[in-house]
Amino acid sequence: MSRLGFSTVFVLGLLAGTAISVARAAENPTWQPAPVERLVKLPASYLKKSLDQDFAQSPLGQAIRSSESEIGLKAQTMADLKNAIGSATGDVGMELRHQFLAEKKAYVSLMSGKNALRKKHLETKARLFERMLDRVGQDKEGASPGRQELIVQQQQARSRFAASLSKVELEVFRTSAAPESRYAAEYGKNMAAIEQLAQAIAAHPMSDAATRDGQPMSRQDAIRGLLGEAQAELALIQQEEAMLGYMAKLVSLDAMALADEAMDVARADSEVPDVANPAGAVSFFVSR
Amino acid sequence: MRLLTMSLPVALAMLAAAPAMAGALENMERERAVLIQAFLDPELKPSEREARLETAKRRLVDLERMTLRDEGTTGRNTPVVRRAFSNYDLTFLVHAAVEKNLAVADQWMDQLGLTTQSVMSARHGRRW
Repeated sequence: MSRLGFSTVFVLGLLAGTAISVARAAENPTWQPAPVERLVKLPASYLKKSLDQDFAQSPLGQAIRSSESEIGLKAQTMADLKNAIGSATGDVGMELRHQFLAEKKAYVSLMSGKNALRKKHLETKARLFERMLDRVGQDKEGASPGRQELIVQQQQARSRFAASLSKVELEVFRTSAAPESRYAAEYGKNMAAIEQLAQAIAAHPMSDAATRDGQPMSRQDAIRGLLGEAQAELALIQQEEAMLGYMAKLVSLDAMALADEAMDVARADSEVPDVANPAGAVSFFVSR
Repeated sequence: MRLLTMSLPVALAMLAAAPAMAGALENMERERAVLIQAFLDPELKPSEREARLETAKRRLVDLERMTLRDEGTTGRNTPVVRRAFSNYDLTFLVHAAVEKNLAVADQWMDQLGLTTQSVMSARHGRRW
């Protein structure tokens, strides 16, 4: 019985934990790109597409899409209201203008929310590209002097070996009665096949190296280009935020103007005579 | 206990799937040691020595090639790799010997500084 009770509590706890994490994810959608180690291995031309696809499937990408569709609907509502205001008069006109203001306020708020999500996306992307650049730099330039020296020695050994290859072949295998080793026989055959495969890979459209103005780019250049694009978009978002700030200011000024106008109308419609000033009541006194 | 019975075959399968493998460099070093042993072994008759050297030499050629073509050693900054590539003439014994038109044994002794003159002038005695 106690085992059953414990497992029930455990399952309920798990369910509660899952529900909390789902609710948090919905409130604060995120995008977690693939690990840098995996991304740096992708061809530069495919990297952007892969990241875009990964982002589109993430909660953050879905949140931006749903926000965009809400903004589209809001813009449509505002256009309808603006048309209706043109032909409406009196109280209906005032009510429509009030609604228009409310919609404009909601539009600014939605836009600001969407920009916050876009900013989060772009900041994640920029951080990712920075980490990728660090990683590529480490691979390329991070070799210690000892390792660099070893690489040089290995290059020298390989070129020396390549130069002596045919001579060794002739001396060791051709002049001997024993048959050529399986490795020596198969290596050449496999090498020819590998060269054919490498040519096919080079000719494949998906293996195209990234280019800029028709010139092939290195992996570092391509990542730097993507980082530049992300930073440019972030700068544009900052500009859009300033624009939204002005829009919000205009909405509040419009609201003040509408409130003022509504008070004027109320005052004009009032049947109570203006006798607060004694001059206004003079007529009561001068006539009998 | 049941858990142990279940996990034991899995663990054994994992061990079997990942055997400890020596690289081409380690195999080449071993084969070179066999070759050196063949020309230093005082028990061997000349014909036996020649046959053993020939077999070891042919194996060593392949292993030297495998090592030089092994991209896995590029930049692998370990003492074994560093030492191997610091002296091509001693590590890739057969290739270096053919390059210089020397017998493999001569090439090895040349690299160690063992000349007829130095051997003849050597004295038998305790090393201090």
